[in-house]
Amino acid sequence: MTEQGLAPKDPAALVAFRVVFGLLVTVSSVRFLAYGWTHELFAPYRFTYWGFGWVPQLSQDGVKGLFVLLGLLGLAVAAGLFYRVAIAALFVVFSWLQLIDVSNYLNHYYLVSLLALLMAFMPLNAAFSLDVWRQPALRLEAFPAWCTWLLRFQVGTVYVFAGLAKLNSDWLLHAQPLSIWLTARSALPGMEHLLDVRAVAFAAAWGGFLFDSTVPLFLIWKRTRAVAFVVVVGFHAATWLLFPIGMFPIIMVTSALVFFDSSWPRTLFRRAAFVVPEAAKSSAPRWAVVIVVAWCVVQLAVPLRTHLYGGDVSWHEQGMRFSWRVMTREKNGSVTFVVRSPKTGREWHVSPGQYLTRVQEREMAVQPDLILQLAHHIGEVWRAKGEGDVEVHADAVVSLNGRPAQVFLDPTVDLMRERDGLIAKKWILPAPMTEPIVLERRASR
Amino acid sequence: MTLIIKITITAVRQSVPLLVLAALVGCPAQKPGADAGVDDGGTAMNRSQVLTAGGACVLSQAKAFQTTAVALERALKATPRSFENARTAFHAAMDAWQIDEVMQVGPASSSANLGGGDIRDQIYSWPLTSRCAMEETLVSKGYETDIAVQLINRRGLAAIEYLLFYEGAATACPAGSPIVSGGTWAALTPADREARRWAYAAAAATDVRLRADGLVQKWEGGFQETLTTAGPSNAVYKTQLAAINAMSNALFYVEHDVKDVKLSRPLGLRDCTTPPCLELLESQYAARSKANVKANLEGFRRIFEGCGPNHQGPGFDDLLISVGAEALSTRMVAATVKAEEALTAIEEPDLNPALTADLASVRALYDAIKAMSDILKTEIPSVLDLEIPNSLEGDND
Repeated sequence: MTEQGLAPKDPAALVAFRVVFGLLVTVSSVRFLAYGWTHELFAPYRFTYWGFGWVPQLSQDGVKGLFVLLGLLGLAVAAGLFYRVAIAALFVVFSWLQLIDVSNYLNHYYLVSLLALLMAFMPLNAAFSLDVWRQPALRLEAFPAWCTWLLRFQVGTVYVFAGLAKLNSDWLLHAQPLSIWLTARSALPGMEHLLDVRAVAFAAAWGGFLFDSTVPLFLIWKRTRAVAFVVVVGFHAATWLLFPIGMFPIIMVTSALVFFDSSWPRTLFRRAAFVVPEAAKSSAPRWAVVIVVAWCVVQLAVPLRTHLYGGDVSWHEQGMRFSWRVMTREKNGSVTFVVRSPKTGREWHVSPGQYLTRVQEREMAVQPDLILQLAHHIGEVWRAKGEGDVEVHADAVVSLNGRPAQVFLDPTVDLMRERDGLIAKKWILPAPMTEPIVLERRASR
Repeated sequence: MTLIIKITITAVRQSVPLLVLAALVGCPAQKPGADAGVDDGGTAMNRSQVLTAGGACVLSQAKAFQTTAVALERALKATPRSFENARTAFHAAMDAWQIDEVMQVGPASSSANLGGGDIRDQIYSWPLTSRCAMEETLVSKGYETDIAVQLINRRGLAAIEYLLFYEGAATACPAGSPIVSGGTWAALTPADREARRWAYAAAAATDVRLRADGLVQKWEGGFQETLTTAGPSNAVYKTQLAAINAMSNALFYVEHDVKDVKLSRPLGLRDCTTPPCLELLESQYAARSKANVKANLEGFRRIFEGCGPNHQGPGFDDLLISVGAEALSTRMVAATVKAEEALTAIEEPDLNPALTADLASVRALYDAIKAMSDILKTEIPSVLDLEIPNSLEGDND
C-alpha cells in the first residue's frame, strides 16, 4: 500500500489542478470584492464557531484587505511562485475568512479550505512552476501517487456524503425540497410546464441521489470516466442554471479533474508522453502514512457524527456543518427573543433584525446554536443597560420542507443558562412527524 | 483535439443508455395535473398572473391615493379656510395611503431595493418625523420657497397631520432651539400660527400630490410592464422569482412596521422605558393609529388574497392553491382575519386610549399579527421558495 502510494506519477494533472485551483480562488476573491459582498457578508455582529471564538475579528476594511491578499495568493499558487508559503497562507486566510461568521458557512468554502490544506503538504510546485524556474533544484520528475489519491478521496467524500444525506424519506419518497425549488422555477424559459410536474421532481431527486452517491466510482473507473465527467459537467451546469449556488458547480467540476489520468494535460496539449523516471521513487516515514490514514478517518467520522445525536439533522442541525449535506432542506424560521427581568417582571420582545442582516437572520432562525449565541449577546446587551441578570427565551417556529411551522425550541428554557458545545441540546424540540408538503399543480378558485 | 473527439465519441456512446433512462424517468408522456387547471371552473394561477394582478392592484391603489391627494390639496387651497373639510380630506388620503404602505414595490420602495425610488418616504416619512423641525419651518416660513428641498421629516402626510390637528401653543423644541431661545415661536400670535399652519399644510399637500402623480407616472410609464415581464432581458428583475420576491417583501410591512414599530414600541415590548409608551404611537395628532393598522391589514389582504371586492381576484393565496398548498393559503387568510378581529375587539376608537384602558386588547392584536408574520416568514417562503432581498449564494450548497 505504502509502495503504491509512493509510486511515481506524471505531475501534469496535479499541476493543472494547482493552476485551476489558484485561479478559482482569485476569481472568487475578485467576485466578492466586485459585488461588495465584503460589506454585506461581514456585518457588525458575527456568529462564531464553537471553539473558535478566539479567531480575530476584523473590520470591514480588514476583511476587504484579506480578500485582496487571497486573490494574490491564488495567483501565486497558480503560478507556483513561493508555493509552499502561498498555499499555506491561502489556507490560513481563506479559513480565517470563513471562521469570521458562521452564517456565511457554505460546504464548498469548507472544501476549498480542506483542499488548500492538503495541497500545502504536496510538492505541487515541483514542476511547471516559477519556483522551479527560480530554483531548478526543486524540480521533481514525478509526483508520488498519494497526492492524487488523497485529493480523489477528499472530493469523493463530498459526493458520497452528499448522496447519503439524500437517503431520507423527504428526498426520496416526497421529492422534497426539490419539488418546492423546481416548482418555483417553472417559468424559466424552456422549462414551462415541466419543472412543476411531480414526476420531474422525483426523477431529479432520485437522479441527484444516484449521481452523488455513485459518481466518484464512475470517475475512478477508466472505462466510464469520460461519460461520468460529462454527466458531472451536465449535472453541475443544471444546478448552476436553476439555483443560486455561486461557485459551487465550478469548484466541483474542477475538483473532478483529479479523477483523470495523471497525464491528461499532456494528451490534451499534445505534449510528449510521460516516462517514469528511473530514480523517481521517493520514500515516506511511517508517521506520514499514519497521518494520511488519520486524515481519512477524520474525514469519514466528521460527517457521520450527526448519527450520535439521533433524530433528524435537517431539523436539529447538530452535525449539519462539515458533513456535505448539500442542498437537502428548505427551511425557514421566525424567532423572537423574549427577555425577562426576574427582578422587575418586565418583558421585552427583541427582533433579531435589530442586530443582524437579513442573510444572518435567515441563517440564525433555523440553527439552534446561532439562536443561542444571539440570545447570549442580547442578554449581555440588557445587562450592560443595567437590567441585571435577565432571562432570554426564544419564541422560535420553523417550517421544514414546506411543513406547517412548528415550535422549534423549548420556549420555557432560559437560554442564558445554556452553553454551546458538542453535547446534544435538550432544548431543541422533536422534529415534526408530519410529511412534507405535496406540491401539485391544480386549479385555483 | 484528437483526445477531445475521442472523449466526445466515448461519452456519447456511453451516454445513450443513460439518456434513454432519463427520457423514460424524466419526461412522462402526459404531465400529471396538466389538465387540472379547468376542472373546477377556475384557472390555474401562475406567478406571472400574480405579478400582473399585483401590479394592477398597486397601480390602482396608487391612483386611489392620487385622487385623495388631489382632494386634500384642493381642500387646503379652498377659501374660506375650513379645517374641518381639510381634516376630512386628510383622513381620506391617509386611509388610502395606509393601504399603499403594504404595497411598497418598485418606485415607492426604498432605493436599496430593486427598482426602488424612495417615493414612500417622500409621501409619508413616519417614524422619521420631527415636530420641532416642523415648528422651526413654521417659524422660518421655509415652506414658502420650495418645500420639496426640505428634509422628509418636515413635509409629507406626517407634517400635514401635525399642521391640521395640533392646535396647542407649546413647542416641542428644546430651550436651545433658535425659535425658543430667540423667542420667535413665542412671538407668534394664535392667528399667525393658524395662518402659517394652513399655508404650510397647503404647500405640503401640493408636494404630496406631486409625489402621488410621480408614483402613478412611474407605474404607468413602464414599471408595471417591468414587473410583469421579469426575465433575463428585464432591466430590474432578472428573474420572475426576483419580481415575486419584491412583491412578497412588501407584505413584510406587517411584521417590520406594524408589529415591530406601530405596536411593539407603544406596548413597551421594545425601545420604551416605562410602558405603555404612548408617545411612540403612530398618528399622535389625528388619533388614527387604529385606523392605520386597519388599512394596513386591508392592503395586506389585497395583495395576498386579491384586489377585487371581498378580496376576490388573483393573489398569493391563489398561487399557493395552484401549487397544491391550499391548507397553507387557508391558514394565512385565517390568521389575517384573526388579526382583523383582534383589531375590531379593541373597543376604544384609537390605540392611545386602548393602551391606557385595555392594554391586553392591544397585546392581543400584537400577538395576532405576530402569528401572521410567523407564517409569512416560515411556511410561505418555504413553499414558494421565496428569497430574502438581495440574497447571495444559496445556503445549502
